[in-house]
Amino acid sequence: MITEKELEHLAVLARIELTEADKKSLIKEFDSILGYIDQLKKVQISMDDSARVGAVKNAMREDSAEPASAEDRERLLNESPDREGNFVAVKKIIAQDIKI
Amino acid sequence: MKIDIKNLNIKKAHDSLVKGDYSAIDLTEAYIEEIKRTNGDINAYLEVFDDALESAKRADEKIAQARASDAKGGSEIPLLMGIPCAVKDNILIKGHIASASSKMLEGYHATYDATVISKLKEQGVIFLGRTNMDEFAMGGSTENSAYGVTKNPCDTSRVAGGSSGGSAAAVAMNGAIFTLGSDTGGSIRQPASFCGVVGLKPTYGAVSRYGVMAMGSSLDQIGPIGKTVTDCEIIFNAIRGKDHKDGTTIDEKTYENEGAIKGASAKPIIGVPRHFLGGDGIDKAVLGAFNDSLDALKKKGYEIHDIELPNISYSLLVYYIVMPAEVSANMARFDGVRFGLHKDGKDGIEDYFKSRRAGLGREVIRRILLGTYVLSSGYYDAYYNRANAVRRMITDDFKKAFETVDVIATPTAPSPAFKIGEKTSDPVAMYLEDIFTVTANLTGMPAISIPCGIAPKGLPIGLQLTARHADEATLFRVGKDFLGEL
Repeated sequence: MITEKELEHLAVLARIELTEADKKSLIKEFDSILGYIDQLKKVQISMDDSARVGAVKNAMREDSAEPASAEDRERLLNESPDREGNFVAVKKIIAQDIKI
Repeated sequence: MKIDIKNLNIKKAHDSLVKGDYSAIDLTEAYIEEIKRTNGDINAYLEVFDDALESAKRADEKIAQARASDAKGGSEIPLLMGIPCAVKDNILIKGHIASASSKMLEGYHATYDATVISKLKEQGVIFLGRTNMDEFAMGGSTENSAYGVTKNPCDTSRVAGGSSGGSAAAVAMNGAIFTLGSDTGGSIRQPASFCGVVGLKPTYGAVSRYGVMAMGSSLDQIGPIGKTVTDCEIIFNAIRGKDHKDGTTIDEKTYENEGAIKGASAKPIIGVPRHFLGGDGIDKAVLGAFNDSLDALKKKGYEIHDIELPNISYSLLVYYIVMPAEVSANMARFDGVRFGLHKDGKDGIEDYFKSRRAGLGREVIRRILLGTYVLSSGYYDAYYNRANAVRRMITDDFKKAFETVDVIATPTAPSPAFKIGEKTSDPVAMYLEDIFTVTANLTGMPAISIPCGIAPKGLPIGLQLTARHADEATLFRVGKDFLGEL
């Protein structure tokens, strides 16, 4: 029900590397899971609920920065795999061919 | 004195601490000793905190101060002062590791306290350690932990359930008075059922999720696991409440029009969706214990009505579309940049691919990909939109049923605890474990699992009760009556 090509595309969207063995077992498992959830297509949807609102309302807050203590900043930065001073370090983003 | 931790509850422990029968240090040491004795077999705890005894010392000091300054002999001491508990590994305690049982967060130290933790700390609760779980709470058996399966204290060849398997087993093996778990599709109630303890999934939004790792954001709730309904009620009241750090939390007024049970003197009416309990998938012993429980409730004077929930059989389908969709979004944050495991590739993009493959387990990857599939262009309407429409139909069915009954009863799980390894090769068989529990997450209604019988081989069976939004009180009332705690 799902082709290897489709699965590879999903893995690119989700940014997960898959081995050949991963793909083989995932295709089998996807068939079983999709076979199950496809039953949903048979359900008669009985309502037009485009105008419904739930009891829980959206919560808003001011879009403002809150100052962090030096100690908190240090804690957060220390969790990053690679830091340079007060920055999280990542590889250069531009100047390479990115195939997506 | 030797503390009888097997038969301990919060009230008893509190009274003894206030009277001075034993100290919080004595109590904490008794639990740590028991954990050392049994955890090697069970693997409920991933870590016992080395600062537990320091917290116990502080609790003892506060108890001594209160006793000295209070003429009434310590009546000012908070009920939870010095009470030892354990916490599922996806809830943040500042300075401690929180790994969600994943390799992705193996050495991750929480940088702040979750709201539930701040609330318990204010009362003086002792945190003994963190408990094992299915990786990122995805699973029904704790077999998906990167740190080994949690075994069922009632039979170590069987699973403790999941995903809060460590939290349920910790209570069952006398390793904590109570624990916290999280419940996205049954992850508190099913392990509570398997281990013979009580577990509550509160109303969606009743308890703040700030500082808890998100799995399915429209489904997740934090809740207590304990030996008694009374203990779960105490903890629920301690951790609930509106929190400006979690926009989904509700206040007293949110559900005021849904109409909880009228008048405290009226006996709650219990509804049973018989039409949903006839399938082959339900174990005979479970159905037997369920029917016996209904008889017991009838003898206590409860009216039992048959009810219809016309769309309930679609619950699991809807859940296994909505949940992976939300998982795929929530798990995007694990990219090997700001925290967690990092694996080097040839460029920044390849770092993501390699870090995520190396850090995440099979079930997590499966759900991310499934969620990506149901949300992707061309499938969104057929799966996600449709699932949300059916989810509303299911919620409406429940609301309609609650016009005539106050509580809906079903078994918690279709079977008692299964053998370790029995269901790992077939994801759909594992998903079917959640058939009775997912509805409460889809509707947002509160539900509790309470022990109601023992299957052959000594395996516990759980009874699940569901109530209207924000009506936990009725669950506690019926639950306490059923277990004889009143």
